[in-house]
Amino acid sequence: MARQWGMVIDLDRCTGCEACVVACHAENNIDTVGEDQAARGRAKHWIRVERYYEGEYPDIKAKFMPVLCQQCAAAPCEPVCPTFASYHTAEGLNGQIYNRCIGTRYCANACPYTVRFFNWFNPVWDEPLNLQFNPDVSIRSVGMMEKCTFCVQRIKAAEIQAEAEKRPLKDGEFAPACVQTCAPKAMVFGDLNDPTSEVARLARSNRATKLLEETGARPQVTYLKRGSWNGAENAENA
Amino acid sequence: MTGVICVASLGLWLAAGRSSKAQAPAPTPLAAQDTGVYTTAHSSILAAVREFFGIRSTPVQPIAFTHKVHLANGLQCVYCHTGVDEGPDATIPNTNFCMTCHVAIDTTNPEIQKIAAYQSRGENIPWERVYGFEQSAHVKFNHAPHIRAGIDCSTCHGDMTKQTVAVQAVKLDMGYCITCHEQKKVSIDCVTCHY
Amino acid sequence: MQRRDFLKISAASGAVAALEGCGNPDHKLIQFIPEEDLIPGIATWKPSVCTLCQSACGTQVRVMQGDAEVVRNGQLGLIKMGLAKKIEGNPAHPVSHGKLCPRGHAALQVTYHPDRIKGPMAVTGQRGSGEYQLISWDEALKRLQAQLGPLATAKQKGALLFLTAPLIGQRRTIVEGFAQAFGGSPVEFELFDRSVLEEANLQSFGIAAMPTIDLSHSNYVISFGADFLGTWNSPVAQSVGYGAMRERPGQRGKFVQFETRVSQTGANADEWIACPPGMEGAIALSLAHVILGDKLRPANAAGALGTAIDGWSTGLTEYAPEKTAAQAGISAATITRIAHESASNGPAVVLIGDLATAQTNGLASALAVNALNMLLGSAGKPGGIEFSPTAVAGGATASGRGANGSIRDVVQLINSSVPKALLLYGANPVFATPEAWQVKALLEKVPFIASFGSFVDETSILADLILPDSSPLESWMDGSPEAGTTRMIVNVAPPAMNPIHETRSMPDVLLTIAQQTGGDAAKALPWKSYEDAVKASLAQYQSVKGGSVTATSADDFWSKVQAAGGWWSAEAEPAAIRLGETGTTIRTTTAQFDGDPEQYPFYFLPFPSQMFYDGSLANLPWMQEAPDPMSSAMWGSWVEVNPATAQKLGIAQADLIEVASQHGTVRAPAMISPGIAPNAVAMPIGQGHEHYTRYASGRGANPIAILAPMSTENGALAWGATRVKISKVGVGRLALFGGSFREDEIDREPR
Repeated sequence: MARQWGMVIDLDRCTGCEACVVACHAENNIDTVGEDQAARGRAKHWIRVERYYEGEYPDIKAKFMPVLCQQCAAAPCEPVCPTFASYHTAEGLNGQIYNRCIGTRYCANACPYTVRFFNWFNPVWDEPLNLQFNPDVSIRSVGMMEKCTFCVQRIKAAEIQAEAEKRPLKDGEFAPACVQTCAPKAMVFGDLNDPTSEVARLARSNRATKLLEETGARPQVTYLKRGSWNGAENAENA
Repeated sequence: MTGVICVASLGLWLAAGRSSKAQAPAPTPLAAQDTGVYTTAHSSILAAVREFFGIRSTPVQPIAFTHKVHLANGLQCVYCHTGVDEGPDATIPNTNFCMTCHVAIDTTNPEIQKIAAYQSRGENIPWERVYGFEQSAHVKFNHAPHIRAGIDCSTCHGDMTKQTVAVQAVKLDMGYCITCHEQKKVSIDCVTCHY
Repeated sequence: MQRRDFLKISAASGAVAALEGCGNPDHKLIQFIPEEDLIPGIATWKPSVCTLCQSACGTQVRVMQGDAEVVRNGQLGLIKMGLAKKIEGNPAHPVSHGKLCPRGHAALQVTYHPDRIKGPMAVTGQRGSGEYQLISWDEALKRLQAQLGPLATAKQKGALLFLTAPLIGQRRTIVEGFAQAFGGSPVEFELFDRSVLEEANLQSFGIAAMPTIDLSHSNYVISFGADFLGTWNSPVAQSVGYGAMRERPGQRGKFVQFETRVSQTGANADEWIACPPGMEGAIALSLAHVILGDKLRPANAAGALGTAIDGWSTGLTEYAPEKTAAQAGISAATITRIAHESASNGPAVVLIGDLATAQTNGLASALAVNALNMLLGSAGKPGGIEFSPTAVAGGATASGRGANGSIRDVVQLINSSVPKALLLYGANPVFATPEAWQVKALLEKVPFIASFGSFVDETSILADLILPDSSPLESWMDGSPEAGTTRMIVNVAPPAMNPIHETRSMPDVLLTIAQQTGGDAAKALPWKSYEDAVKASLAQYQSVKGGSVTATSADDFWSKVQAAGGWWSAEAEPAAIRLGETGTTIRTTTAQFDGDPEQYPFYFLPFPSQMFYDGSLANLPWMQEAPDPMSSAMWGSWVEVNPATAQKLGIAQADLIEVASQHGTVRAPAMISPGIAPNAVAMPIGQGHEHYTRYASGRGANPIAILAPMSTENGALAWGATRVKISKVGVGRLALFGGSFREDEIDREPR
């Protein structure tokens, strides 16, 4: 069966530290846009941590939720792209093909998760910050949409390596940058079509939920709701 | 695997964002420091047009290297172009590597003497790139799976036994890649190469 | 944004980097023969250590071939060399467990920073002008020798002041030895001082070290203000333990946070309880009162730690929940319930830190928490507070580590007799101390100042001579973290890459000077290089059984340890605690605050920023653009104001607010925040740099500057003890990542 890459994000473990946000920038050659452009909403955080407050001081609570491209199986961003730059790959990712992109930005318009980012300008790095570039990831130029790819470069590298060693890919053998760095292990990545994988197991949890499922986008990221504490009757969190 | 990266060279001004408001301009860095910028912007409209149409000037190599002669003497491609079966890129050997042989071989040849001169100055030979994709193609070509699949170097690089300096003997457009991939029943999913 | 107004394309150097043939005939740079044998496109992973906070997380660095502009024999050119591309946690490391915090990733930008000092410099203009000229290393060493040499001969105490960030390992040994040989003393300074907790732990447990918390086995965690999942102590190790605590099969641990402002850590609490600043110790004792009174734990469980607290033996009647509740605004029922929960759901562990220990009663509060831990049975036990054995081996049985109060000792020293020379390395007290301490004016009195740092900042701009250290990725690393694991551990890593600039390893520079000076200095520092010193210091671990590296010879051990990034014991071996017999009675006093509550109605809560930490990382663009976890703000400062307070004062989102203490004012835009008490305002620490590279200079506001010179009982800066007033003075700007993408920034609402 073909692979379906997916993720599980356990909101009970996420601490809101944003290591994932910075790891993603470092891995994917994302430029910083500077204060002015950031104030205009043009910063490109392929993964972000949303924070929600509930209640009123002093009965105030706050919750975190990391949001990244959900790699939807019925992605709203795909049918609206006039050049097929946004398309569905054979392994269940929403691919973004930079050289096809002509910058209509319909995909960002259609995306219910606001996870697509446009390059309003040619990115600029003060030298020698460019020495840090990851050679496995394209540098996007002006007029292109970009977004989380589930670190497709790592997926490709792992697949090529497994093929060279004439063996199947192992679950957990590699991970996108965000998943790799998450200290409380809130994020898990793998093949949802492999029932023995960690991600498939966790996606069946009784705490599982998805974001904006009612849009019909069929997101491939499953969120596990925050747990609660019941003292002596503490239930096991699946 | 690294595509051709065009860097803003001298004299470019980018499309600027709004100027900063309500902030004092940053003090200049130390007077002794001066750094440039790296950007994907082209150095001129002409350069952008050339890249779009894939027009490249013929590379002029600093040394009249001849593949013909080296291959005729029994060297294999991978002797110099190491790494091609391990990773995405093929190495171009450095001056010291050339001199390991040429400290003794053909030392009276003026081209060899040029190499020796580079070495004595501690300099690497500034070869001009022959193969590579335009940066705007966003292609991540990986040599290793192709070598492991048994593809011969000449399939894409032409018959090197007939070339002196390398030239683009084969037209490496996307059609060429797709045709072979289809024949060999390998993935033509876009994201196989473009990401 | 400044840098777009600011493009400087250097014609002289060609500025055309990374040109593995773009066919550009304008190449002006020659290419050097590579010095390393690398295959392009293939990564090697090298072990290293992160130095951006005291955790000393073990990392692995992805190194790949790239083209860099370097200078060889005075000539600029391109070279293919191994370049660090990505930093990840080292999976085998007992502190990082293969993980990292956001700051660890950004450490790459230190190495590749455009404003990094690229070679030795001497000041040309007036001191503090920032006008420098590049000089050669020979010249720089000559000048340094000329200034320091005489001090070695004269051996006048106090002649040399060596001011550094807290150091570990042989780096520390060399700095200490050097300072002493040249008639001086090393002084360690860091804003987020550990001395309060170290002193408390020394008194309670006989160990002057930060605690290592076994969260993965904890069932109940109470934290008084400690940002343990963000910036406090060893956040990566603690986050790893926290994740395990949450999803342990069958028993999900509970987490309760007491603080005045919802911090990034506090947001994760099952129960977040508002508590006024300075009341943390009282609440801890209130919990103890309930546990003692309701006989939830054996009466003498807290032993000497309990009886040292005034009133403990009579049941802490002063801390009955009803009394504390009234003062703290927390219901007595809540206090009673939490006491019961913690006592019946062990292991329970109590933490305290950050603002809670940065009060005038910080030490007493910390001692109260230690007693509570002892009472709950978690001191020195799995699931509770333990201590690193290598911290103890390294001398943590006596107090005297770096503290921010150390600067006041420096100030007193300079006031009594001005040192002849001041050496700076990694410490920025001009930025990170209140203006009331007048640190800059005092440091300026020293006739000769030299800095080894990589950047010009508020303190190093006073330097007459700069001898830049290589960045951490370009340097040998060694040393043991004070907390984060109870295994014996020493980090050792060779440089992950060669230096890209004309920098030199600081410990090696010191060794050179010492050898040139000869006499006692050379004897005190006998090693030829820092690497040799590290190698020599490792010998003691080779024969220890049960270590991560086994070897047949000293050389074999040395190469294996380097390849692994360090040596650690296979098993946890927490240091044995010696229960304090201090004999002194501790009273939890009421916290004092500077400023009359009538005139200065708000508690001022500066808080460590997740991205800038203590301000030392504000120069990194990834950190400037990463959204603050609670506010999503980027590239600026802000003042958090409670919504009801804002409404009362007519303050709208992004209005420019002036915050005034008795000691100064700062201005920043208002952030209406539901997570802060109505009688408090908060500001992130880290911005407000006058000099700190193009990304941080002239940006935002520094809340430390206006703090009152209040102290904890042991002399550390009580940075939570200032009261302020606020007023609207205009319109500001917030760059928020959250909220709508509207052009009109002032209308942005935080979600």
